[in-house]
Amino acid sequence: MIRRSFIGKATAAIAAAAVPSLYLSWAGRASARPRRHRVEINGFRFTPDRLGVSVGDTITWINRDIAPHTATATDGGWNTGELVKDAEASITVISGMQTTYFCAFHPMMKARFSIAATTDQ
Amino acid sequence: MKKNLLLAVSLFALALQPTPSAAQSPAELNDLQIAHVAYVADNIDIRYAHLALAISTNPAIHEFARTMIRDHTAVNEQALALLKKLNAQPQDNFLSKQLTANSEKLVDEMSKLRGAEFDKRYAENELAYHKAVNDLVSNAFIPNIENAEVKSLFEAGLKIFKAHEHHAEMMVKAVSK
Repeated sequence: MIRRSFIGKATAAIAAAAVPSLYLSWAGRASARPRRHRVEINGFRFTPDRLGVSVGDTITWINRDIAPHTATATDGGWNTGELVKDAEASITVISGMQTTYFCAFHPMMKARFSIAATTDQ
Repeated sequence: MKKNLLLAVSLFALALQPTPSAAQSPAELNDLQIAHVAYVADNIDIRYAHLALAISTNPAIHEFARTMIRDHTAVNEQALALLKKLNAQPQDNFLSKQLTANSEKLVDEMSKLRGAEFDKRYAENELAYHKAVNDLVSNAFIPNIENAEVKSLFEAGLKIFKAHEHHAEMMVKAVSK
């Protein structure tokens, strides 16, 4: 019982000590809240075809062409799957993911995004 | 004079499905005849693609053929939806018949080929076919289409077919190596 209480106090103390750094970390994340980016596929082009993103952001592709398209990583590591006209699909940006992509159906369609270095890691 | 006559074929007349004229050149076709040509041309390329899937063992040819089937099917679905909305039926005409007859000969010819010989012939034909169709759509169809929605669909279709032409150019280079 005593032991449990001690552990409880110790945990509380550690938690209290950690608060400032946790708060700063949280505050830092708050200022860089995950953003949502949209890439339109129109006329066999990804628009924009260059995009700056951060880890945790979401990229959404929406196909405005009659022809189905995909957004597929050049290393095959991620893929939206087939997007018919007006369909959309999203991915969440993670560290180290492939940033160049193309349409698997129309390989001449290429684009990329760049992942900004994070300041709170 | 011809343009004035074509202008008289309004959206309302289109919906009423005018009697087919005996057009003898692509530029003389009405909207519903042009729609028929496009539908036939799409189906011809889909047929070539199925032939490629049946004969070729080249993965790149298969990928290209599947794209042709996927894209031309999508265009035809949009065209049929638009015609339904306009309460119109596509009209058979001399050019549709000519395209179909030519494709029959080509399917016969390509069916006898195998291996790299087939791949080369298929890729070259895809390039030539898309070039010819794009020329027709750009110069004879789009300038003469009266209905704005039909014109818009053809403009969207042309972007797809130009991408196919470019893709076919890459295929021809790849199979010629």
